[in-house]
Amino acid sequence: MAVEAEANGMAIPASRWGLRYRLLLPLTLTLGAVLLYPLLFSFWVSLHRYQLTRLQDVRFAGLRNYLKLFEDPAFWNAILNTLTFVFGAVTLELVLGFALALLLHRLPRFRHLARAMLLTPMFVTPIAVGLMFRFLLNQQLGVLPWLLEGLGIRIDWFGPGMALFSIILIDVWQWTPFMLLLLLAGLESLPKAPFEAARIDGASAWMTFTRVTLPLMKPVLLVAIVIRGLDAFKVFEYIYAITRGGPGGSTETILFYIYKVGFRFFRMGEAAAMAYVLVAVTLALVTLLYLLMTREGRRRS
Amino acid sequence: MTTKTRKRYAGLLAGAALLALAPTASAVELNVIMEEVPDYDIVARLTERFEAANPDIQITFDAMPYDAMRDKILTSFLAPEATYDIIIVDNPWMDEFARAGYLASLDELVKGTDGYDYEDFVAPLRAIGEVDGKIYGVPYYNYALGLIVRQDVFDAKGIAVPTTLEDYVATIKSLTEGDFYGAAMQPQQGYKIFEEWKNWLYAMGGDLMDENGNVVIDSPEAVKALEMYIDAYNNAAPPGSLNWGFDEALRAVASGKAATMMSYNWMLPTLNNPEGPAGELAGKFQLYEVPGGKAVLGAWHWAIPANAEDREAAWKFVSWITSKEVDKERVILGGAPIRTSVMTDPEVWEKGYGERYYKTVLAILEDAEPLATGNNAEELIDIVGTELNAAVAGKKSPKQALADAARRVKAALE
Repeated sequence: MAVEAEANGMAIPASRWGLRYRLLLPLTLTLGAVLLYPLLFSFWVSLHRYQLTRLQDVRFAGLRNYLKLFEDPAFWNAILNTLTFVFGAVTLELVLGFALALLLHRLPRFRHLARAMLLTPMFVTPIAVGLMFRFLLNQQLGVLPWLLEGLGIRIDWFGPGMALFSIILIDVWQWTPFMLLLLLAGLESLPKAPFEAARIDGASAWMTFTRVTLPLMKPVLLVAIVIRGLDAFKVFEYIYAITRGGPGGSTETILFYIYKVGFRFFRMGEAAAMAYVLVAVTLALVTLLYLLMTREGRRRS
Repeated sequence: MTTKTRKRYAGLLAGAALLALAPTASAVELNVIMEEVPDYDIVARLTERFEAANPDIQITFDAMPYDAMRDKILTSFLAPEATYDIIIVDNPWMDEFARAGYLASLDELVKGTDGYDYEDFVAPLRAIGEVDGKIYGVPYYNYALGLIVRQDVFDAKGIAVPTTLEDYVATIKSLTEGDFYGAAMQPQQGYKIFEEWKNWLYAMGGDLMDENGNVVIDSPEAVKALEMYIDAYNNAAPPGSLNWGFDEALRAVASGKAATMMSYNWMLPTLNNPEGPAGELAGKFQLYEVPGGKAVLGAWHWAIPANAEDREAAWKFVSWITSKEVDKERVILGGAPIRTSVMTDPEVWEKGYGERYYKTVLAILEDAEPLATGNNAEELIDIVGTELNAAVAGKKSPKQALADAARRVKAALE
């Protein structure tokens, strides 16, 4: 605002400048206290040997907590599992959510009712979803394996090789509605003119979709992927309720690992270092995604 | 904070009362953190009597699920003023909390209590509450592991319940037929598989560490125990049960799908209760010592935080609830036993679950070792429990998994 005012060539008396900054002060201080302080403190913790049961012996450790991570196979296993999970879950949710949104968009009647029904999984607490599926998919006691067995299919849902995929499917069950909601809103707000033009030009449905709908939806898609992706990085409840990271660490995600090291082993220094590495990884990915999508957009136009 | 304000008020009131020359007692409020389990309900019921007899002490329980407890307790330790005046400590946390200086030593208080008979607690239970020669906790209840079997299945086939691990594995394999399995196992990564497999390790003569504290988890005995565990899982446990914990195993046994499980000794009365989870199968279950005899012992202990305000009042409650007389009532009501005198008391046998049950529990407790000890017990359980699960999943060979476990445990202990 100040910059704008200056650009317009308006002179601002010094006293009003002071007022502006003073008005900003409460917000700045509040944000500093609730955002900056915890961030800085956890950074400080990440540079120390900080164990909650050894608080009399907190020592400066430099980058040792970070360097230790590079030699920790469990940490990299967790990062890899998380990336697999995020990529798998978000891709499936995007495809399914987009398909459902396109269908709903064309639904002449009952659109609101259908949308409301499709949205329900989103409103269940994730921990309850985890517990629900733990028993639904249980080989001996669950309904799903029992039904599948009737068809002659036997899948060990939480066995090695399958467990992470099952967790992805549970996430898809719960969060596809979120994609649907966002993309449907996006579709409904698109201008009508380009579609009419395409129809007049005699474009096929597929052409209309790839050449008109997709490019117009790009900003919405980007936002949907980023929000869902960031959220998927924080997957915790399903793991906690179902596998506790097993079998053999194959579903151990980064947040579950950080929780274990920080709140069960009380090694706060190492946990804080991991959290910072996680922030760096997520930031890099989001930036990359943003660059990819905007560059492509620019090239096309 | 509330305690302090209340105390301040109480102090003011007491002062006013003194001035008025009328004797009044100032009530102490004690906050107690508890885990929400049946044993807690029994304690809560008994406590009403304590409060009636001690109007100057008011007990407030804060009951919560297990997973919420560890960080709540730690937060209370670190707070300038304790949230909890009395806590319960799980076996793996004892050494860690005591050595960090968070717990008050109870030696003087135990010695100063007439007729408390501390030696009456079963020795392995006492040992858990003693750290570096001092008492930091007195037993609340035990969760030692036993072998729970479907006696009717064994009787019908005319086979004896096995007492060695080799026999056990052979027996559960032979009992597995169609949709019925010899054992409902609990190979879930982390705590559960560690707790179950450690019984197998003992049966093979192995241990986590030797008497000098060296890590010996990769010994040939341990490898053998893990190989047998995997053999049993592959050939006698329900397929696809790799993530099973306590709930699933209990349901499998209760619904008649499995002949045996290694579980907490006090699950027997629950299974034999006609209104319990087993329904029509109630009464057909029996408890034995785990194969090999030596069992994994879990236990909860009462402890008083070092930053608790009124140790005397806290101990008054703790010593009351663990006293011989009250403990006897607690066990009759269904609480898990801790005192020898209670387990050998004919009145308890009669009003409780019968002589055989209490004698078996006593035998289990007398030959048992703690789940895990040391400052990093929680981490140790997790490391070993992850490697074991990886081996059962077939991701690593037993030898490799245990070698990795040994390496990682050593690194964590540094």
